[in-house]
Amino acid sequence: MNIRIHKKSYLSNFLGWPAKVLIIAVILVVILFPFYWLISNSLKVEQEYFAKPPVIVPSQVTIKNYVDIFTKYQVGRGLLNSILIATFTMVLSLVTGSLASYALINGILPKKIKAVLALWFLIQKMYPAVVIAVPIFFVINKLGLMDTRLSLIMMNTSFNLPLVILLLIGFYAEAPFEIEEQAMLDGCSLFQRFLFVTTPMIKAGLVAVSILVFLSSWNEFLFAAILTIVRAKPLTVIIAGFITDKGLIWGPMSAMGVVVVFPVLIMMWAMQKNFIGGVSAGALKG
Amino acid sequence: MLISRNIRATTGDKVVSWVFLLPVIIILAVTAFIPLGYGVFLSFHKFQLNIPNSKPVFIGFSNYIEFMKDKLFIKSLTNNIIFATISVSMELIVGLVVAMILSEDNKMSRVMITIILIPMIIAPVVAGTLWRMMLDSTYGVVDYFLELIHIPGVRWLSDPKIALYSVILVDFWKFTPYVAILLISSVKTIPRSFMDSARVDGASPWKLFYRIVLPIISPVIIIVAMIRFIDAFKVFDLVFVMTGGGPGNATEVLPTYIYREGIKYFRIGFASSVAVVFITVMFLVSGIFIRLRTIQLNRVE
Repeated sequence: MNIRIHKKSYLSNFLGWPAKVLIIAVILVVILFPFYWLISNSLKVEQEYFAKPPVIVPSQVTIKNYVDIFTKYQVGRGLLNSILIATFTMVLSLVTGSLASYALINGILPKKIKAVLALWFLIQKMYPAVVIAVPIFFVINKLGLMDTRLSLIMMNTSFNLPLVILLLIGFYAEAPFEIEEQAMLDGCSLFQRFLFVTTPMIKAGLVAVSILVFLSSWNEFLFAAILTIVRAKPLTVIIAGFITDKGLIWGPMSAMGVVVVFPVLIMMWAMQKNFIGGVSAGALKG
Repeated sequence: MLISRNIRATTGDKVVSWVFLLPVIIILAVTAFIPLGYGVFLSFHKFQLNIPNSKPVFIGFSNYIEFMKDKLFIKSLTNNIIFATISVSMELIVGLVVAMILSEDNKMSRVMITIILIPMIIAPVVAGTLWRMMLDSTYGVVDYFLELIHIPGVRWLSDPKIALYSVILVDFWKFTPYVAILLISSVKTIPRSFMDSARVDGASPWKLFYRIVLPIISPVIIIVAMIRFIDAFKVFDLVFVMTGGGPGNATEVLPTYIYREGIKYFRIGFASSVAVVFITVMFLVSGIFIRLRTIQLNRVE
């Protein structure tokens, strides 16, 4: 009897069960329909994505839009750029972020530096990228890094570091110190302890942080729009480029949308637990 | 012997610690400290990049005085406040309801959580283009559905009175799941025994929510509200792809205003002065928020 009560949903009926059913139905429609619309438009022929009234179920399916974006709009290069930028941003922010976080927790540094960095990261999380867009443009230009993936990797790393370090500091602080101590007595140097002892203990945390960084840098738009011209354009800039043109070409644009969304969607679904854990920790920790 | 090794280890460790920190400091210097400093410098200068061979000319606070008088600045600021207030309140209320409905660990919740991750993961640029397509006043599918139930079509993005609210609606679509996910995780930290004993005492679902769950998660709600409020002030991608600040200036917000002045019109000094004030205000606001946040976090524990 008791067990049955436990299994039955209770809190979710707080507005009464008819309301619950209605709300779930609305969520399903409001989220799944746009998603369906994106995919179906990408598979429609031109007469059907430009039809009035709109064609809800396409009468014929074509992959022409996909062929078009890869042949006419250099989406292949954009895809490669997006993959490389997101991957290297992930690696760079994880390597530099974990070194710094480890030093801040287990290294020997003046206490002030920790406070100063913490304050800085809080500031950096507060301002939008656009406020440094203008000066960044000059700095990147001076460094001769215009239209390179490296410039975007650097900028994305910079904007992800506050979150990365905030989370990693938490994970390093939670790692058991006794093992660290034992390694110290065994004569391990700080670097050895970092690489072989403590960092392997926080693997799960590192995974959560890496997928958050990958996602945010995959979706990044502003710096990519300002700092690329042709060669280094990632997918987000290419899809936005469809819009500023006079007429919107919905078919290829939808196909682009699918190409931008699907890789990360599948990735996040596959690692859903890590992803949700990372998102919650990022918002509520520290 | 042991002591001397320890001392050697510590002096070595000191150096190594700094070496560990160095890459982050270099990256931040190049991508944040130097640009910010340069931005402050530029804000006191007149610098028009579209004039050949132009150099920054010192003009004191003129840029600051100029934008304070600019009607478009006031309009952008107002829009920003409207945007943040409406979108965040809607996201919190609906996010809370969704979180309650999905907070129990059963199959339905797991499937629904997988689905609500979709808007969260979609790039803002794609969400903007997708909704722009759906809200189109000629071929848009939303107006078509409205006409099916005999509601006249709305010019979602081309009517200056409505456009801002359309963008807010898409922001709401994209970020309510985020709010819900955070609140679900915090509901799940409530010990089962709390809920169970309330149920044994015959509390109705509504009472369970109102008397037990809501008070426990209210600090988290406040933290989430702050995070979303700050993020809503930074909105750029969505506005940029959906309306580009238009029609006219109906949806201009501060980030797109700075972008327009600096990147589009090359008024480098002017844009920098707006940016400096924006950062300063965000810094002050977030200072208050951090205080509140620490108080709330202590309450969580």
